[in-house]
Amino acid sequence: MTNSIPGVPPGSIDLGSSAATIKPAAPGNSADNPDFMSTLQGAMGQIGDMQSEADGKVTQLLTGNGQDVHSAMIAIEKANLAFEMMLQVRNKIIAAYQAVSGIAF
Amino acid sequence: MNLFRVMEISGSALLAERMRAEVVSANLANAETTRVDGGGPFQRMHVVFGARPVAHPSFGMSLASFGDLHAENVRVVGLVGDETPPIQRFEPGHPDADTQGYVSYPAINPAEEMINLMGAARGYEMNASAITSIKNMIQSAITILG
Repeated sequence: MTNSIPGVPPGSIDLGSSAATIKPAAPGNSADNPDFMSTLQGAMGQIGDMQSEADGKVTQLLTGNGQDVHSAMIAIEKANLAFEMMLQVRNKIIAAYQAVSGIAF
Repeated sequence: MNLFRVMEISGSALLAERMRAEVVSANLANAETTRVDGGGPFQRMHVVFGARPVAHPSFGMSLASFGDLHAENVRVVGLVGDETPPIQRFEPGHPDADTQGYVSYPAINPAEEMINLMGAARGYEMNASAITSIKNMIQSAITILG
């Protein structure tokens, strides 16, 4: 089960037994199976790093520290694209949450 | 291999073309220079471009993974002086004239240098539009989700 959803360890949902006991997935996970939240936080940290890299390059360019115009522009563009992608992922998660919270019991 | 690295490859080409434009501009500017620090007229310079394998990704945000694609950055590996002998002009009153009254001028053809400068400018433009295309590719990949 290499393609299992992170956060749901294989075998936690036991459909084979007659009682069909469903065990909730443990929120904390081992290091080899990181949960979705830490993946998201890691991605956020990387986007933050890209933004501060772009910031540093623009500052160097404007203060005349020999930074190339194109590398500053590429850094800005990378940070912008990474942010856009993060935003779309976030929108998708929020939409999924709202869809689930709308389920009536 | 991710799409951001395509931007880095084009970025390396932008740097290389900028350096080429710099060297060509220096050739143009010094087309009539008869003395340099080492003695003699200015020597025309050529840039030499070399390929360098792309480094491994520095971040995990791989927007697309194509495995081990062999892609190479471009970089300026050196500056080589032109070995064409200097042009001799008879100007006896010139301070750099030799005993026969001839002055050594660099073997630089301004028209040729202008063509090289145009080449560098067009190469820069071309790589800049490659970056724009990559940006649009990434953006359309993101809008799949939106």
